[in-house]
Amino acid sequence: MIDKLLLKMRRRDDVSAEEETILRAAVSDVREVAADVTVVRADVDLHVSTVLIDGLMCRYKDLGNGERQITELHVPGDFVDLHSFPLKRLDHNVMSLVPSRIALVPHDRILAITETQPHLTRLLWFMTTLDAAIHREWQLSLGRRTSLARVAHVLCELQMRLDIVGLADGMTYRLPLTQVDLAECLGLTPIHVNRTLRELRSQGLVTFRSKLVSIDNYGGLKRIAEFNPDYLYLDKRPR
Amino acid sequence: MARFFFDVINGTGLVEDDEGQDLPGLSAARDVAIEGARSIIKEDVLMGFIDLSGRVEVRDADRQTVLTIPFHDAVELRGLDAGAAS
Repeated sequence: MIDKLLLKMRRRDDVSAEEETILRAAVSDVREVAADVTVVRADVDLHVSTVLIDGLMCRYKDLGNGERQITELHVPGDFVDLHSFPLKRLDHNVMSLVPSRIALVPHDRILAITETQPHLTRLLWFMTTLDAAIHREWQLSLGRRTSLARVAHVLCELQMRLDIVGLADGMTYRLPLTQVDLAECLGLTPIHVNRTLRELRSQGLVTFRSKLVSIDNYGGLKRIAEFNPDYLYLDKRPR
Repeated sequence: MARFFFDVINGTGLVEDDEGQDLPGLSAARDVAIEGARSIIKEDVLMGFIDLSGRVEVRDADRQTVLTIPFHDAVELRGLDAGAAS
């Protein structure tokens, strides 16, 4: 059920059999959610956190004029609002972008982990700090990268994050995002995203068609994006 | 809601939209087209030029063109004669 979360953790550190059992037992419920459902709403008191099992979700914030910024995409294995455990409420919403399956982990079970499992607690802490690192990289994209580099960068990032949880077939992966979704991630317009994707394709770097991303020239795409995966902390070491 | 497709034709050729967007009507489609044109012009400005020769063609679900927004209609030009005046 939370196998992809374990894959994500074990890429960065060992997880003992006991820790795995405890983490699996922390799940109280599994739910299916339709596409475009706000699963966690900002400014609401929260008593559970959510692990994405299947599908695609995002964190987002809206302005009064309806403009939306997606601040992070979530792939299966992500503990999408683990930070709601210490925060108790969120300053942003979390929604499903496609039909998704989620596991719910009550905060009292996370509390029990923090009181009895110091290493597992540090791994959970690592997960939220990793989200912060991804936010910083997106900030760099939104503030400074060209549109070409922004699109290239998010496509490199998703290849890496999906590969960790076994959802990339080498340089090819399924990405059920619309141009509108991508525009909301990248601070661009859908028309601009379409034009930028066409530019990347015509340079022989990457093709995104029928919800499938095929990276044709990874070296070239990384160069344009200035993609350096160090911010994803992929080294396995005691945490 | 109706489906609209937004093709861009400019100096670099035709960029066809094969995905489209669901929008309440033609007026919303016009807003999307204008915003899209402006976003492309904005990127050009950052690279040091403005090319207003392009256009956004809006097609409906039957792929018929229902609206054309030339880039020069998406922005108001001011101060063009400032150089000559000085």
